[in-house]
Amino acid sequence: MLSYPFMQNALMAGAMVAILSPIVGIFLVLRRYSMMGDTLAHSSLAGVAIGIVAGFSPTLSAVVFTTLAALFIEFLRDRFKQYAEILMSVVLTLSVGIAIVLVSSGAANTNINQYLFGSILTVTRQDLLMVLLVTLLTVSVVSYYYNELIYTTFDEDGASIINIPVKRVNYIFALLMGLSIAVSIRITGVLVISSLIVLPVATAMQFRQGFRKTLFLSIGIGLIDVLLGLVFSYVIDSAPGGTIALMSVFTMVLALLLNPLRK
Amino acid sequence: MIEIRNLTFSYTGESPYLISDLTMDIPGGQLISVIGENGSAKSTLIKLVVGLLKPLKGTVKIHTTSVGYVPQKMETFNKQFPITVEEVYKIHLRALGLKDNSLIDKCLQEVSMQDYKKSLVGNLSGGQTQRVFIGRALLGDPSLIILDEPSTGMDLRSQKEVRKILKNLREKGVTILTVEHNISAAIHNSDYIIRMGDQSGVLYDIKTFKTNIQHEDVDNMLVFRKEEI
Repeated sequence: MLSYPFMQNALMAGAMVAILSPIVGIFLVLRRYSMMGDTLAHSSLAGVAIGIVAGFSPTLSAVVFTTLAALFIEFLRDRFKQYAEILMSVVLTLSVGIAIVLVSSGAANTNINQYLFGSILTVTRQDLLMVLLVTLLTVSVVSYYYNELIYTTFDEDGASIINIPVKRVNYIFALLMGLSIAVSIRITGVLVISSLIVLPVATAMQFRQGFRKTLFLSIGIGLIDVLLGLVFSYVIDSAPGGTIALMSVFTMVLALLLNPLRK
Repeated sequence: MIEIRNLTFSYTGESPYLISDLTMDIPGGQLISVIGENGSAKSTLIKLVVGLLKPLKGTVKIHTTSVGYVPQKMETFNKQFPITVEEVYKIHLRALGLKDNSLIDKCLQEVSMQDYKKSLVGNLSGGQTQRVFIGRALLGDPSLIILDEPSTGMDLRSQKEVRKILKNLREKGVTILTVEHNISAAIHNSDYIIRMGDQSGVLYDIKTFKTNIQHEDVDNMLVFRKEEI
C-alpha cells in the first residue's frame, strides 16, 4: 500500500491535517465555537467556487475567502457578543448561497465535488506544501501565544484585566482557523472537516487531563483517526474522507465506553 | 486608593442609568464590601473599576499598578475545561512576566490549596475553586484585590473560609474591594461599606463609625451589628 506515491502523499497530508486540526480545534471547542468549523468549511467552499469561476487557484481563493470570513466573524463577535451563534449562521448562509449560485451556474461544477467530499488520494505537491506551511505557521504561532491563547479561552475577562491583548489574540486565532480549514478541505472535504477539528478534542477531553496533555492526546487521537481511516478506506475501497469521519466517531465512542475515568 | 469621579453608566448607553454621577474616594489598606439589592449595580461598579466596562461619563483612577482580580466565576465556569490549578497559575505568572514557579506553591499555601496543585479546576468544589482564583490574584503580590461576588453559590462553610482569607490579606495590608451579599458578614468583616442603590452609592465607615450615618438601611444594619456584638 505504501509503495504507491498517491498513498504516501495521502498519508503525509493526512498526518499534517491530523496535527493541525486539533491544535486549532482545542481552542475552538473550549470557546464553544464548534459551529465555527462548519461555518468556515462552507466559506471555503464558496472560496473554491469563486476561484474556479474566476480562473484563480481554487485553494488560494479558498484560503483568502475563508480567512476573510474568519476575521469578519471575529469582528462581528467582538461587537455583538451575545449574537455569536446567529452571526455564524449568517456567514454560513452567505457562503452556502455563494457556493450554490456559482455551482448551479454550471461554471464551477467540474471540480467542486473533490472539495465537498475531499480527495486525499489526489493531493498534489502544491497541496502538500500549502498544508505543510500552514501547519508550521500554526504550530509556531500557537507555541508563541500559547499562554495568551489559553488564558483568553479560559477567562477572557481576566486576560483583559491582566493586559493580555485579547483582541489581537482573538484575531490571530481567527486567522489561523481560516487558514487551517481552507487548506484542509482539499484533503478531508467540507462535509467532514469538523470531524477532525472537534472529535479528537472531544475524545481527548474524556480522559480528564490538564490542557497540555489534552492537546497532545487530541493530536495523537487525530493521527490514529486519519491513519486508520486511510488504511480502512484502502482495504474496503471506501471514500477516505467519510471513512476518517467514521473512524473519529468510533474512537470517541470507544473512549466513552472504555475510559475508566468516566463518571 | 480608588478615585471615582462623576461615574455614569448604563448598558444601553442612555438613560435610565444604572450608576449616575457617582463620586467617591475608596481608601487603601482597608476591607471594603459593596452591598445592595439585586440590580443595584454592585457588579457593574466592580467591572467599571477594573476596566471591563467603560463609563459613559466620569473616571475611575486606581492609585496602584498591582491589582489582583477575582471574577464572578462560579456561574459561568466551564467545568469540562481541561486545565489544572498549576496550569491556571502558570499562565497567569507568564502573563505577569514572572518566571518564578515557586510563587505558585506560596500562593496556594496562602489559600490552603497546596494539595490541589495537580487537580483539574473542574473537579474542585465551589469554595475550592474560589480559593484557587483568590490565590491566582495573589501571584503578582498585589496591593489591591478586587472580587466580584466571591461567595455566590457557596455553602456557608466555604463562605466563611473565603472571608477568613480576605481578612488575613487585609491584616497584611492588602486593600480588598469585594461584593458581598451577606449584609451581616459585610458589617462584621469590613472596614468600609459601599451601599449601592438609587443609581448611586454611598461609602460608610463601618469600623470607626466616623461617618454620620443617615441612610435608613445602613442604620438598620448598624443596629443589627450592635445586637450581634
